[in-house]
Amino acid sequence: MKLREMASVLRSKNAGPLTLTVDILFASAEDYARATASPQLSAPAVAKAYGVAPTVVELLPVPQALAVKINLPRPIVAGSPGDRDVYGAQQHVPLLDLDI
Amino acid sequence: MSALDRLRARHRSPTAPLLALSASGQLGYGIPEPAFTAGLARRPDFIGCDMGSVDPGPYYLGAGRMATNPEVTRRDLRLVLTGARRLDVPLLLGTAGTAGAEPHLAATLAMIRDIAAAEGLHFRLASIRADIPPAVVATAQAEGRLHPLGPCPTPTGDEIMRSRIVGQMGVEAFSRALATGADVVIAGRACDTAVFAAIPHLLGYPMALAMHMAKIIECTSICCVPGGRDAMLGELNHDGFVLESMNPVRHATPTSVAAHSLYEQSDPFGVAEPEGLLRLDHVQYTALDAHRTRVSGATWQPATALRVKIEGALWEGERAVLLAGSADPGFIAAIDEILAAVEVTARRLFPHEFRLFPRIYGRHGVSLWSDVTPDAPPREICVVVECVAQQSDIAIGALTVFKQYLLHHGFRGRLSTAGNVAFPLTPPELSAGAAYRFSLYHLMEVTDTAGLFPVAVENL
Repeated sequence: MKLREMASVLRSKNAGPLTLTVDILFASAEDYARATASPQLSAPAVAKAYGVAPTVVELLPVPQALAVKINLPRPIVAGSPGDRDVYGAQQHVPLLDLDI
Repeated sequence: MSALDRLRARHRSPTAPLLALSASGQLGYGIPEPAFTAGLARRPDFIGCDMGSVDPGPYYLGAGRMATNPEVTRRDLRLVLTGARRLDVPLLLGTAGTAGAEPHLAATLAMIRDIAAAEGLHFRLASIRADIPPAVVATAQAEGRLHPLGPCPTPTGDEIMRSRIVGQMGVEAFSRALATGADVVIAGRACDTAVFAAIPHLLGYPMALAMHMAKIIECTSICCVPGGRDAMLGELNHDGFVLESMNPVRHATPTSVAAHSLYEQSDPFGVAEPEGLLRLDHVQYTALDAHRTRVSGATWQPATALRVKIEGALWEGERAVLLAGSADPGFIAAIDEILAAVEVTARRLFPHEFRLFPRIYGRHGVSLWSDVTPDAPPREICVVVECVAQQSDIAIGALTVFKQYLLHHGFRGRLSTAGNVAFPLTPPELSAGAAYRFSLYHLMEVTDTAGLFPVAVENL
């Protein structure tokens, strides 16, 4: 099952101009448990989806919120000349097709 | 007797709940009036609003301009000011004018004075500046007291000196402003939480709960399902707080509130504030009913050293933008080499210093990471070329040359010899004003915050 079919929310946003944060929320404890048990929802798999080194990816399960948080350093400081996403609001897309 | 003194007199009992009304998380974009009015009817003990953010980018800090429309901003300020004065409760506003530097604070205060005069309102107004002199930051850097909050280029001393810099004030600065007897506090750059935690802290409520409630309600009803921008009420006790949206269709549920701790925040379990660290490891969320959730269990670790988060914006040049589209498969396939060749020609014919940043929408226009490859060639692309130069004439001039050679560049296999691109506008190259970048997003170790965030008082 693709992550896009499983998650109730899959969003990205800057957490300050240097960091991008992605939130994946699930509608049920079953979905959350299934997703977090999958090797596809791991720092190395996420790093591969973005084409970055696994060491820069931080992945935090947040069971209270049935959520997984992912943090990545932005490759360019938000809003600098040449930036493509000032708010970082469209950087969730590489995760949509992770096969859970 | 100030609004805070009257509040103190009413809150002698440690069991008395404190009602905080969050009017707006982004004042100036149009506060939804029905929910705000419903919030006023609950007779809150104080009203808070946040007016700014670092999210919209470095332009607003650098240029000293508001991101919001002046007419809508004035409308929102009138709404909260008249509401607070009618109830005679304190009004606190953080990050005035989008970025909270001196021009933003001055523009916001001018609107407040105009509204007060027009509405016949009389009150004591405190304002708090948040500008940090560049020399103070340069000294901190030289002394090793400046720490980046993520990967970013290390600013040179010269870049620091040319930046417009603000610091995020905390509860301490609001407390000083309220101590002057102010009814209304308008702050420059401030932690969103400080706006809502200062009064509970002064009244003796636990810092952990005050901060946690502040962290949630500063975004108004975003913590609800469905999320929205309607006013939010927080009812604080000494052992927890209750969240309630003032729009009856927005429900604060345990899951929606827990999920909000992730929002625009890299650490879901810890929130760093100037005065300490809010820990959310053992928070409990309990539904009171379908609409309200009670929250408890946050803890607070007071800071051992004072650190202020600072933001600096640096002028990079003047910006121009070119817009051009294509649906020709041959042009789309050759776009990378076409752009490279056209740039060479433009630089030869227009030998000035300028920087070009092309983006190809339809193919890699959005992703920050270039490795993400599409499955099939796009049917259409839009080429957006950003140009930054020291003068506006140079930025526009470079794109004027660039666009003509883009239109007529003879790429291999070209059939469209009358023109390669569709321009949506005339002229297709637009002047886009000044370009800035964040030169600073750092923590600065300091010994004192009172000197950094001075308070001024006036009676209206």
